[in-house]
Amino acid sequence: MTAALLGVLGYFGFGIICFLIPRARFLSALALVCGTISFAVWAPGFPRGHLGLGDWAIPWEGDALAAAFWGLSLFLHAVLLLEEVGKPRHFYALLTLLFGTVLSLVLSRDLFNLYVSLELTSLIAFLLVGLEGRAAQVWASLKYLILTSCGMILYLLGVGFIYARAGSLSLPALSAMPPDTAIRLGVGLLLAGAAAKGGVFLYAQWLPTAHGYAPSSVSAVLSGLVVKMGIVAMARIAGAYGAGDVLVALGLITGFLGIYHAFWEKRIKVFLAYSTMSQLGYMLLGFGGGDWGGALTYAVAHGLFKPLLFLAAGRAEDEAGTHLIQRLAGKLMLSTRLGLGLGTVAIAGLPPLAGYAAKGLLFLNLPPWGKWALFALSVGTAASFSKLLPTIVRGRKGWKPTWGQFTLGLVVVGGGVALCIGKASLLAPSSLISGLGAIAAGYVVFHLLRKLPFRPPHWRLDESLLALFLAGCALLFWVLLH
Amino acid sequence: MKRALTIALLATLLGILLFGLTDLFPPAEVRPWAEMARAYGAGNGVASIVLGSRLYDTLLEVLVFALAMVGVRYTLKPLGKWREPVVPERGVVREMADVLLPVIIVFAVYLAASGHLGPGGGFPAGAIAGSGLLLLAMAKGIERLSRELHEGTLEPLEYGTIAVLLVLGCLSIPLNHRGSGLLVVFNLLIGIEVTIGAWVVLHYFASHRGEI
Amino acid sequence: MAAQIGTVLGIGLVFLGFGALLLRRSLIWKLLGLNVASGGAIVFLVALSHRPGAVPPLSGYPEGTPSADPLPQALVLTAIVIHFATLALSLAYAISLTERFHTQETGRIEAASEEEMER
Repeated sequence: MTAALLGVLGYFGFGIICFLIPRARFLSALALVCGTISFAVWAPGFPRGHLGLGDWAIPWEGDALAAAFWGLSLFLHAVLLLEEVGKPRHFYALLTLLFGTVLSLVLSRDLFNLYVSLELTSLIAFLLVGLEGRAAQVWASLKYLILTSCGMILYLLGVGFIYARAGSLSLPALSAMPPDTAIRLGVGLLLAGAAAKGGVFLYAQWLPTAHGYAPSSVSAVLSGLVVKMGIVAMARIAGAYGAGDVLVALGLITGFLGIYHAFWEKRIKVFLAYSTMSQLGYMLLGFGGGDWGGALTYAVAHGLFKPLLFLAAGRAEDEAGTHLIQRLAGKLMLSTRLGLGLGTVAIAGLPPLAGYAAKGLLFLNLPPWGKWALFALSVGTAASFSKLLPTIVRGRKGWKPTWGQFTLGLVVVGGGVALCIGKASLLAPSSLISGLGAIAAGYVVFHLLRKLPFRPPHWRLDESLLALFLAGCALLFWVLLH
Repeated sequence: MKRALTIALLATLLGILLFGLTDLFPPAEVRPWAEMARAYGAGNGVASIVLGSRLYDTLLEVLVFALAMVGVRYTLKPLGKWREPVVPERGVVREMADVLLPVIIVFAVYLAASGHLGPGGGFPAGAIAGSGLLLLAMAKGIERLSRELHEGTLEPLEYGTIAVLLVLGCLSIPLNHRGSGLLVVFNLLIGIEVTIGAWVVLHYFASHRGEI
Repeated sequence: MAAQIGTVLGIGLVFLGFGALLLRRSLIWKLLGLNVASGGAIVFLVALSHRPGAVPPLSGYPEGTPSADPLPQALVLTAIVIHFATLALSLAYAISLTERFHTQETGRIEAASEEEMER
């Protein structure tokens, strides 16, 4: 445990010093080295421990979930350091602190420590979203702040309910409690609060604007990593209490509503943000269905191809001078189109890329209705991403790849191939056919539905708040009557 | 219509929570804390939790506080300074500031230094010292005070304090180093940090207001 | 009895704040509502640490005296600072937006900033 704590300390320490010293990118790289060494030391043993004395202390425990997210965040940190050169030093400082908080959050097994870490990730995220100071970004950040603060107030009330009944804040203690009214209500409040932080549809309508308007490297890390911290908190709480079916229901809601919005969205980064909301549904299905391995693989795979898509989309906006998908076609350089294309086929699930392998692993362990839901979600994802095809196919010749996108693309391909070789059932004809079939069906569905005059609602602040409270109310009812 | 629906929704949620409250009492037994407090060298149960068994939460919280100050700074700096000077108060405030300020500062230091024994601690001490600075700003005029306490020295002090706090805190957990001395150091460092933060908020909100 | 009253008061404050957040149009009012709501959550936690006839969690009282629960009080100390930090940041954002659009009405700020993104 000491090794993990020292790794996190390295991140926080170097992050703070970055504010003061001009060579911030170098210091941030030192933090990355620190974190990598610490990961190499603690990961093999999966240690469990306490930060402090006896049963008052904060329980920390390394497990597969923590290891997966440590790996992902260290890798994304390296990618962003490669991608972003010459930014102001507070950008690197905030980024380093953000990764440090994520590393600490996934190890924690304590309700209040989770609360403080979630608040810290969201606070850094607010700052990063509003960093460039354009009015739309500041507003997106403020909306993010208001909605997540409401969620966190519900979470704090939930902490109170659980503590008053159980006399302890640790998650293992929660799992030993008989489910009476106060505990149920507390768990409902905790789940609603974490869902508001974790980008679940109806609970977190801040996500489209915050991820859609932020600078693209920030969107990449927010979508790839930070938004999943809420999902991690939900998985931990539901795992301790045994409320998997709530997660499955939330996963279905966020999966299908996210696709519904993504399908008709015209702005490229907002479209990617809605797609993130629907992708979180896959992970919730996995965590709720008890298949943590599949859910984790999907979370990591999504953490690879979504940043690739966001980085490429940011370059595309710069090259074409617009953010409307229709107008991007014909204006993008070959390198940008390659990044966008690789991300698109990976998220749609083309064998043998990372998206296909992760979906296949998730598919194996789901019950039959879950398999159908997952297939429908894949068709929807492929359909919504079909609108990027003209942008990818037509364009200019230029070739200016960036190191960050190159590394991400390499891992998306390499990781997928490695998984497919390691798990032979992924290369069986039936799963290959269902993977390709989902893409083909998605393309057909796109052309069938494209002209329909549906327009999904526009989520302004007031509607988002109402949606949060309405959905929170429904969740509380469900958990109480459960 | 929307108004009525909103009120109905909030009333429903309130009803659910109040229904849950009926099941909440009596709450769980208080775990005996005296032994834990003694192990950390504290006479105050709250301080032994904040600076002892849950020190890690406190470190994250200090980071939250510092980052909010960073955010205030970077958001308000581009807005430009308030054109008219904030007029210094005359009379009562000015006279009383001379009398009250030493008392306020001494009280803040006392609270920080004895926070592990009785009520007090770094956060209240910092808030009190910050309000002392507010009084001083009202008496002397905020421009004059901000010329004396300028950014160039405050910023390194602020980040340096946090860095020292983080390193001390994170190392004391695995090394299992405990004792009253450590708690006093933590309280004083937190007090300094909160004072600077309070000054940053006060200074930026008062002087970079932009125009409406 | 005091604990029951305190918890009811805390939850009541939370929903008073949420009411202001949902029903008021002005941005400053919304942020104040949010702050009242977080204050309510703090009152709720503090009330939970109360025990009938208990003394404050300080040493020096005779052995065996029941004491209030120190843990919720410690949590509250952390939560207050976090709420202060988010309030400071949100007010800074509010100032910045008001300066740009010369209005505090949320709907208009929202529309104007969306418009700015289209350009």
